[in-house]
Amino acid sequence: MKIQYQQHTKDISQYSELSLIQRSDKTDVAFVAYGLFVLSLVFISYLLGLFGWLPFDPDDMDMDLMMALPGASGHILGTDFLGRDILTRLILGIQAYFLPGLLAIVVALGLGTFMGVLSGYRGGKAEAVITYINNVMDSLPRLVLILLVVAAFKPDIYIIMLVVGLTNAPAVASLVKDKITFLKQKNFLEASVALGLSTRTIIVKHILWYNCRTLLIIQATLGMAEAILIETSLSYLGFGVQEPIPSWGNMIQAGANYMMRGDFWPSTAPALAILFTVLGFHLLGDGLNNILEGKRRK
Amino acid sequence: MKASAIKPITLVLARELTTTISLLLGVSVIAFLIILASPGDPFAQLFGGFSGTESERLALYESLGIPTTWYGQYFSWLGNVVQGDLGTSIRSGQPVLGEVASAGVNTLYLTVGALIVTLAIATPIAIYTAIRENSRLTLTYNLFAYMISAIPVFWLGYLGIYLSTHLFGFFPLGLGSSDTGNVAKFLLPIFILGLGSGLISEVVRHMREQVSRVMNEEYIRTARAKGAVVWKHAFKEGFLIPVTEIMAIKMPFIIGGAIIIEQVFNWPGMGRMAWQAAQDRDFPVILGITLAAAVLVRLSSLVHKLVFVSVNPRASHL
Amino acid sequence: MSTTPLIKIEDLHTFFYSKAKQAFIRAVDGISMEVPRGKTLGIVGESGSGKSITMMSVLGLINAGPGVIRGKVTYDNGTINKNLLDGLERFVDVHEESGTVMHVEKDLAGWQKHSEELMKDIRGNEISIIFQNPKAAFNPFTVIGDQIAEMVMLHTDIKDPQAAKEKAIYWLERVKMDTPEVRYHNYPGALSGGMAQRAMVAMALASEPSLLIADEPTTGLDATIQAKVLELLAELKEELGITIMIISHDIGVISALSDYVAVMYGGTVLEYGKAEDVLSTKYDNKHPYAKALLASIPSLENIEKSGGRLQAIDGEVLDTIKVVECCKFSARCNRITDAVKDKCHNNQPPLQDIGGGHKIRCWLYQ
Repeated sequence: MKIQYQQHTKDISQYSELSLIQRSDKTDVAFVAYGLFVLSLVFISYLLGLFGWLPFDPDDMDMDLMMALPGASGHILGTDFLGRDILTRLILGIQAYFLPGLLAIVVALGLGTFMGVLSGYRGGKAEAVITYINNVMDSLPRLVLILLVVAAFKPDIYIIMLVVGLTNAPAVASLVKDKITFLKQKNFLEASVALGLSTRTIIVKHILWYNCRTLLIIQATLGMAEAILIETSLSYLGFGVQEPIPSWGNMIQAGANYMMRGDFWPSTAPALAILFTVLGFHLLGDGLNNILEGKRRK
Repeated sequence: MKASAIKPITLVLARELTTTISLLLGVSVIAFLIILASPGDPFAQLFGGFSGTESERLALYESLGIPTTWYGQYFSWLGNVVQGDLGTSIRSGQPVLGEVASAGVNTLYLTVGALIVTLAIATPIAIYTAIRENSRLTLTYNLFAYMISAIPVFWLGYLGIYLSTHLFGFFPLGLGSSDTGNVAKFLLPIFILGLGSGLISEVVRHMREQVSRVMNEEYIRTARAKGAVVWKHAFKEGFLIPVTEIMAIKMPFIIGGAIIIEQVFNWPGMGRMAWQAAQDRDFPVILGITLAAAVLVRLSSLVHKLVFVSVNPRASHL
Repeated sequence: MSTTPLIKIEDLHTFFYSKAKQAFIRAVDGISMEVPRGKTLGIVGESGSGKSITMMSVLGLINAGPGVIRGKVTYDNGTINKNLLDGLERFVDVHEESGTVMHVEKDLAGWQKHSEELMKDIRGNEISIIFQNPKAAFNPFTVIGDQIAEMVMLHTDIKDPQAAKEKAIYWLERVKMDTPEVRYHNYPGALSGGMAQRAMVAMALASEPSLLIADEPTTGLDATIQAKVLELLAELKEELGITIMIISHDIGVISALSDYVAVMYGGTVLEYGKAEDVLSTKYDNKHPYAKALLASIPSLENIEKSGGRLQAIDGEVLDTIKVVECCKFSARCNRITDAVKDKCHNNQPPLQDIGGGHKIRCWLYQ
């Protein structure tokens, strides 16, 4: 049986002219799109909350309309067990983690890149120290450390996020250092030095901006996802934002008893918010990783 | 060929022990310094409390020979710890070591059980998506794993309680001494933690990578050519080692999840104790729990290393 | 004594689908050959000629991934007679559009399951294969003796582990391993290349197969060890009367053992026949490629003939992704005459028997 597949191989130069998006897996593009959607939703909601452009007053209790399901008289997401509008409270809940999360990210990335560059460039002792600290951090559950901090300083979310950032820094440093080691092997750094570029230029422009930005962006997305989970867990435990200020975590906690009695919505709405937001950041990071780093594949 | 006089297992154990001790030291320093940095005189709390002005206290310390510098205080505390004295709980007045130990065992049950559940769910997904390259199915499974990992575990816990109360008719809260025969009460928190700890997607990813890699090894090709049972050959490198490896790596996260689950289900473990200690600012207890948690993590690493050594014929490359 | 060949490959095509290039890589492009019972067929060719892939296709060992394997491989040992590729096309769907292969969909699970069923009593049982990198081919976590014993228990009547162990030691002895009882307990990492290769031969023969396929059995071994392994194979061939297919890019290896030889290039067979015909130094009835191969061997005779210099073959190995409507070797052939030039550049020559079962695929001999 003769197989007659006549074919014309695609011209290779044509292939590489396809844009990054066209070259990538469709699922990864979808993930990134969803992630960006979530990110913008979070950001917009944060701004809405900041300026008070809310559908309802968060403390306004409508006693006639408790536990309303979405849609009831203008409450897009319904009301909770005290008649308060859920959508408003969800929007405000973003404030509980948004800035603190950014703090954690900035600290982790800032300190992490500094440490990473230091140990990547100088190697030796700096590297050993950072590896050691990294290993220590890996041996300690994040939440235990946070409870320790809570015990010592009383629950201030910014201090906690600062600690989170500090404890994530070694991991970032390790990634940056690996990247630098990799670049060193490629003689890329030697060439830059030989060309007379100042160390500062080399580090900032070539190493960080061109080569590390992908991994830093991805660490940022993961960092925000983690911040959400930490903040909501903390406020669930009672150590974060206190009632009546809404946090997605304390909303779930407050609604828990009602959930046992069959009134799911007040607890489930914030849980879904957490689900879709964390999912968004995770998928964003994963999708970006595949698209941007996967270009090394054929 | 002369065999080495020291068995690989002994070498591995020695190395693990040294690493563990050095890491625990690091943990203790960080934890202690955090406590010391808190407002007031935390050191006093660690040794029984004292009220009075700053200078009076310092004077008393000096007269009693109690160290006043931070490193002095650290070493004095450390000295006690090494001798088994973790102080007494401010809340209960009981020695911390005993309390933490018995609570720790309960947490151990919870975390190990949860890890087993996570593996039981993640491994079939990983193997299936590694072997069958059906992209649609892979996508579905991946998405499922991601979504499960994004659900807040405490909400999942409540859902579990609701379902078990209303569907199965029992109320699984509050573990008492009379409950030792009640298997279901044990299983639900373990199941929820295993499902909702957020690790499933990563475990799936890790296992799938390893299974794929091993399946492409030459010796698997030989096994296939021999007409042998392939999974028997792939088991050690493709399952046993990756499993213990991921368990060791993810233990800290499971412990974190355990803290939350213990709240939801009122499980008498280290996590609930830590929560209480954070509320009461019970420094000795929280320090003790921090150390215990680190010990648990190192234990799982030890298990992994032991399995690795026993499976590998020449484990000098560790 | 039946004259039907033990294994007969007819028109085998193995294509791998490259998504990036949206085209098939034609690793094996129409191969036919056969091995008579008890004889040895040597397959020689440069790297990339498709020799190993041919064997993998026969045994169904191609690693997953979209692609097509078509053709007929008939295995007939008197009791079993079947086509080893029967029905595999059902699991692959190829979508073409105006000459370009847009998409290939393969029901991997179904394909593998079907292949396993077809090969269930063949792999290990009837056909054994020894691989190129012996140390890597063994399971690094198990002692070699146990791996040989596994072969015994799977495919012979011996099911008792202790008896299997003894049989494994017997085979280790047969392949001239020193201290077989001790070697039994060695891990693959502890063996040298030569010893590992012997162990692999022992493992392959432990199931008492009818056909032994040796894929580059001596590549990577020292010259002296190579000679020993070849010696071993020759002896075993004598003693056991086993049918062998040996694949190598080394003509010396091929000529040491083969009764029949096939010369492969670009996924096709260019010359096929009895060893003495194909490998003869009488350069008359030879395919230009085969002739060039023989001339390029660093031997004293060749150097004399060519005036003191080694004869390399011009050009590079064929890129198997391009479809060619001409003789695959034409780009590198140095014997094209004006008489056949048109044909060489525009048409693939058929495999022509020029007498006594000696077949050549070249316009010069049509």
